[in-house]
This record gives sequence, structure tokens and C-alpha cells, in this order.
Amino acid sequence: MLEGNFWAIKNVRLTLIAPLIVATASVSFAPRAEAAGTVAGSTIANTATANYTDSGGNAQTATSNTANLRVDELLDVAVTSADPGDIPTLPSGVNQVASFTVTNTGNGSEAYGLAVTTALGGDQFDPTTTSIVLDTNGNGVYDAGVDTVYAAGTNDPVLAPDASIRVFVLSTIPGTAVNGDRGQLSLAAASRTITGAPGASANGQGQGGGDAVVGTSGGDGSANGAYVVQAANISFTKTSSVVDPFGGSKIVPGSIVTYTLTATVGGSGSLSNVAIADNVPANTTYEAGTLTLQGAPVTDATDADAGVFVPPAGVVPGRIEVTLGAVAAGQTRTVTFNVRIN
Amino acid sequence: MRILILLFLLLSPVSGHAADAIALDSSVFVEREVPAAGGKTETVLEEPKVVIPGDRLVFILQYRNTGTQSAKDFVVTNPMPAPVAYQGTSDTVAQVSVDGGKTFAPLASLKVREADGAERAARPEDVTHVRWVLREPIAAGAQGKLSFRGIVR
Repeated sequence: MLEGNFWAIKNVRLTLIAPLIVATASVSFAPRAEAAGTVAGSTIANTATANYTDSGGNAQTATSNTANLRVDELLDVAVTSADPGDIPTLPSGVNQVASFTVTNTGNGSEAYGLAVTTALGGDQFDPTTTSIVLDTNGNGVYDAGVDTVYAAGTNDPVLAPDASIRVFVLSTIPGTAVNGDRGQLSLAAASRTITGAPGASANGQGQGGGDAVVGTSGGDGSANGAYVVQAANISFTKTSSVVDPFGGSKIVPGSIVTYTLTATVGGSGSLSNVAIADNVPANTTYEAGTLTLQGAPVTDATDADAGVFVPPAGVVPGRIEVTLGAVAAGQTRTVTFNVRIN
Repeated sequence: MRILILLFLLLSPVSGHAADAIALDSSVFVEREVPAAGGKTETVLEEPKVVIPGDRLVFILQYRNTGTQSAKDFVVTNPMPAPVAYQGTSDTVAQVSVDGGKTFAPLASLKVREADGAERAARPEDVTHVRWVLREPIAAGAQGKLSFRGIVR
């Protein structure tokens, strides 16, 4: 409390001084930009100077003492999921990677203990955590055998103020999980110095010799991630129709057979690298330029479009190939081509 | 008070001729909201024990003419400690600088130039120095208090 040494200003009359110069100079003073603020252990030193003219007309200077304050360590941490959404997985999947980011939002270098919780409500299964891995090479991607497996208390990540680290949680998915099931997990990071109610402090345990003070995060934080079982499947059908040279549908030499190939992706999620290939049947010849995808023509040549006709070579029959890429569940791709009966 | 006496000793001319001497004492307090009766909160100034970014500080400068003659053209200048952002003062004679102490004016009339060349009105956190210019001489034995607020960056 200051009341005890409050000095009333009664012996001087303070007069407003008109501004002498309106400054438009640029600033040379760069404020610290870190979100975490002044680094723990820094000293705030304040000194003032008085200039005056003494009775003999001489300029005099008086310098104050320096009031020093040491900035204490604020313990704060933020954990976020680094996955764009639920992580697609399959029943009995192993080493399924969930990614998190742990950021030191305090103002001192701090070690964090990490722990995973999977017994969370609102989901259909609990993934089994097999390991927590630190992104040691800092590339943001889990590299088996390269990134370091975390061992609590042994290699707790130590983060400078504002620094962050990517953390991977590897899980096994129960074999009983079925299509559409979700399983959540939570990664928690806790300051090794102390955690607790905001404002709680530990004497002398802060970086730089000051105290450690629990910030608004409580000194710990957590974030959820989720796996979702996306068991996509694919089914193919092939149908044909015939037009004979006389307008009928007899299978005679010269008849044109149109084959329709349909790929349907079921379940949930998507399938990647879907492709359709079909051999031109024996005793028929591919009709050039009749390949279509979703009703639109695609050229026979090997080029930017999805389809190609591969001509026969010796005993190997000719065939059509259409690359479909990733196809989401519920979608259908239809390919047609014509052959002429020899 | 011990500090003041010490300063007085340090600042006193050795010759003993002129007895002009100004003692200037710098101190800092933390401003906190504490629960008060009736569910209210009250703002108190505490001796700093624990200081973290975001804490509000009150810097107090106390001056006293410890000599036997008055001191005139009295100007007190306080550079802002780098980890502290200026938050204003209730002293009407105070002026501030945003250019490292080269020029002083009320904050509202100051401008700063951004790295991209654009000029904008100065903000409290741009302040580099605080200055008080007292027009009246400080009589022998007279004393006063100056203060400003800051926030730990």
C-alpha cells in the first residue's frame, strides 16, 4: 500500500507547459513483440534524472536510485490438434498417428509432461495408445525410427517462450470398431514446475531466479483428436449391349458391342488410386475413339486425360485403362467403350 | 527514507559551498485488484513481490530540495524501462517522447512512422521517455511527487 508514504504536492504549483515541438520523427524504439511477453528473469530497472539550475546559475543534475523489479516466470501452455479433422482409420489399425502441437505461451523456458487420455465420452471406441513420439526432426510429420519416443520424466520436451513442438500419438484401433465409429483421444501437457489455480506461485522456482506463477491456462492444457473408422469398399459391374449392322441386336461379324463398366464406392471415407482396366475380348477389335468416362469422351492417347487405349501386342490383347484417382464413398464412375466383332 | 538520506550525502557538494541539492527517489509498485467488503474489488498498490507480464505498475518519483537555496528550471526525465509499456500519467505537466528522448510533447500530438513509411498517431506503448517540466522553482525544503503507469510487456 502506498498510502503510508504518499507525499502531497503542496509546495509546488504545477503549470501546464505548452508543447514546444510536435515531433514527427520515426521511432527507434522497438517494443518486444513476443506474445509471451518479457522473458522471465529480466530486470525492470527504472532511473530518473532531475535537471535544474542552482542559485548560482549553474546547471545541476540529480540522478535517482534505480528501482529494480525482476520479472517472474509465467507458466502457461496451449495444446491444439494438428489434424485437419477426424483421422480416417480401419478396424485393428496399428500405429495410427494423431498429431498435436504444444506451445509454451508463458515467458520462461519450461519442461512439460505429456499424457494421453482415451476414456472420453461421446465416442464409440477407445483407441489404445502405443506411444507418444516427439517430432525430433521438426518436420511436422511422424517419421518412424527417426522421431524420438517420449518417456515421461526422461525426455520431457523443454520449450523456450513462444516455442512449440509437434507431438504424435500412435494408437491401435480395436478390431471390434465398425464403419463410422469414432474414438477420441486427448493429449495433455503440464508444466513440470507447478500447475494449479491461476496465480498460484512457487518461490524461487521460476527461470532466472524469480518465482514461478501459474497463468490463466493453469500451467497445463489439453486438446482432443479423434479417429473415425472409414471402411470404404468398391464394387464393379460390367454390362454390354449389341447393335448389329442391320439395326438389330444380333451377335454377328460387324456388330458393335458397347461395354459399360461401373465402379461404385460404398461404406464411408474414400478410396484412393482407383483405376479401371478391361481387356478387349478375343475376336473383337476396339473401335477407336469410343472410350468415355462419365459420359464424356476421353482420347485413346496417353495424355492428360484419365483414359488410354493400349493396342494389342502379339498375344497380349488390347485393353482400355481409366485412372479415377480418389473416389469418395457413395460415388460412382462409369466407363464405356465399343468393340467390333470380327 | 534511508535511501533519500544516502542520496543526499552522495549528491551534496564536497566543498560545502553551495548547499543546493535535490534528492530524487525512484520506486515502483504493482497495482492489483483485491476483493473488498460487499463483493466489490478495490485497487491497491503493493510492494512488488511477484511480477509477471501483464501486471500494471505504478512508478513514483519523489523529489525534495534538501539544500538551503531554491532550484529553478526543474525538469525530471524518466526513460521507460524496455520491458514496460507506458500507460499514462495523471500529472498534467508530463510530456512524453516517442523518439528516444529527442522531442517531447503530449502523447495525443505525437506521431510515429511505421517501417513501411506510413505515419500513425503515437500509442502509449510507443513512449520512450516521460518528462516533467516544473515552471516554479523548488524552494529549499520543498518536495513533491511525480508518477506514471506502465504495464509489463
